Amino acid sequence: MTAHQESQSPSTSEGMGLFERFLSVWVALAIVAGVLLGQFVPAVPETLSRFEYAQVSIPVAILIWAMIFPMMAQIDFSAVLGVRRQPKGLVITTTVNWLIKPFTMFAIAWFFLTVVFQPLIPEPLASQYLAGAILLGAAPCTAMVFVWSTLTRGDAAYTLVQVALNDLIMLFTFAPIVVFLLGVSNIPIPWDTVALSVVLYIVIPLAAGYLTRRTLIARHGSEWYDNVFMKKVGPITPVGLIITLVLLFAFQGEVILEAPLHILLIAIPLILQTFLIFFIAYGWAKAWKVPHNVAAPGAMIGASNFFELAVAAAIALFGLQSGAALATVVGVLVEVPLMLALVGIANRTRHHFPGAETQAHAEARG
Amino acid sequence: MAIEVSDRAREWLKRKGGVVTVRLSPRHGCCGGGADIAVAEARAPDVPEHYTRLDLDGVIVHIDPSLLDQGLRLDVEGFLGLGHLFVEGASPTRSKE
Repeated sequence: MTAHQESQSPSTSEGMGLFERFLSVWVALAIVAGVLLGQFVPAVPETLSRFEYAQVSIPVAILIWAMIFPMMAQIDFSAVLGVRRQPKGLVITTTVNWLIKPFTMFAIAWFFLTVVFQPLIPEPLASQYLAGAILLGAAPCTAMVFVWSTLTRGDAAYTLVQVALNDLIMLFTFAPIVVFLLGVSNIPIPWDTVALSVVLYIVIPLAAGYLTRRTLIARHGSEWYDNVFMKKVGPITPVGLIITLVLLFAFQGEVILEAPLHILLIAIPLILQTFLIFFIAYGWAKAWKVPHNVAAPGAMIGASNFFELAVAAAIALFGLQSGAALATVVGVLVEVPLMLALVGIANRTRHHFPGAETQAHAEARG
Repeated sequence: MAIEVSDRAREWLKRKGGVVTVRLSPRHGCCGGGADIAVAEARAPDVPEHYTRLDLDGVIVHIDPSLLDQGLRLDVEGFLGLGHLFVEGASPTRSKE
């Protein structure tokens, strides 16, 4: 990399604020707060667990909608009309996200959780953790990819297209992939339970987000929508995430206190999977001579997970106290440090891709 | 050049009224933070005073001043008679929020 190109690589402090940069710290604090709440004020989780309808916890459903709705409300699905503009990038990202990522996640998690760590994790829990890993692998990142794209100087128009396209694909593929891989893992889940969680946590927030976006833009204009409505609604997602984690760990307290090492053991296959998926997509993009500003966001979307959906599905399918829910939270715990490491790799290898010089000169002009 | 408008986008915009707004649209990250994405819309802005007004061969372009002279290109994409304007050459930037 030339000195000039080095100077064009954005720093993490430029791209991220205090909250997102230290997300792992807030998640760790949420775990501690949740465990303390469950141990010392057990009346809180006990009372909340009584609010159920059709076996769906109402407080949890509200929190999950609070996490997912803002993400769906900012997706511009008309961007899908641009699918033909960067076909190589989209072929790579959709193939990696839907035909490779779920299966490598299953294979790596199965190998580590049920074979390598067999002496350390008892069987019923190992299967639960595997289920959580499967849920993490079944959906690519939706919202943070804009931040990763910023940090790698990605192509904004391409990033919009790949997010819209992957969210549409997810609508139809998440449930079949999850049911198939859970079946292969001998973790039978009734189809109607999976279908209910897809309707509750994908279809409803996506439809509500789409209709809200269309209605409010038609009534108030897109600038008002972006700068007034989404400015208020957007920050709800991380707040909902932290509150959900506190609640989840209020129920998980016993597990954490009995086997804190499990968090580390779950993290190992998730970390390996993140690097593997990044390098498959990034290496493929390099082989196909895809420009760096497409290759980087294209590799980031698959490496990162839609963990709000994974947490939601784990709770819906296996319950707040399940090992599956714990495994999905470990995904949240390692997300930001891992992705920042990948951002660093992408920025340091920019010069291996076509268009790097042009991009650097354009940025220098700007 | 302040911003380039492709021939295809120019023809498409003229059919839509000949006005386009090029602005930054914030996207929020699920872990907090966010990014501003350059977007283009075939309409006049809510507050024209916040934009630089250009007349580019019969198309009135209202552009966010921070997007001027960055080598950006306005184009249109789509199929089945549907079109979608996009801004080529822009990277997302750190959200101003």
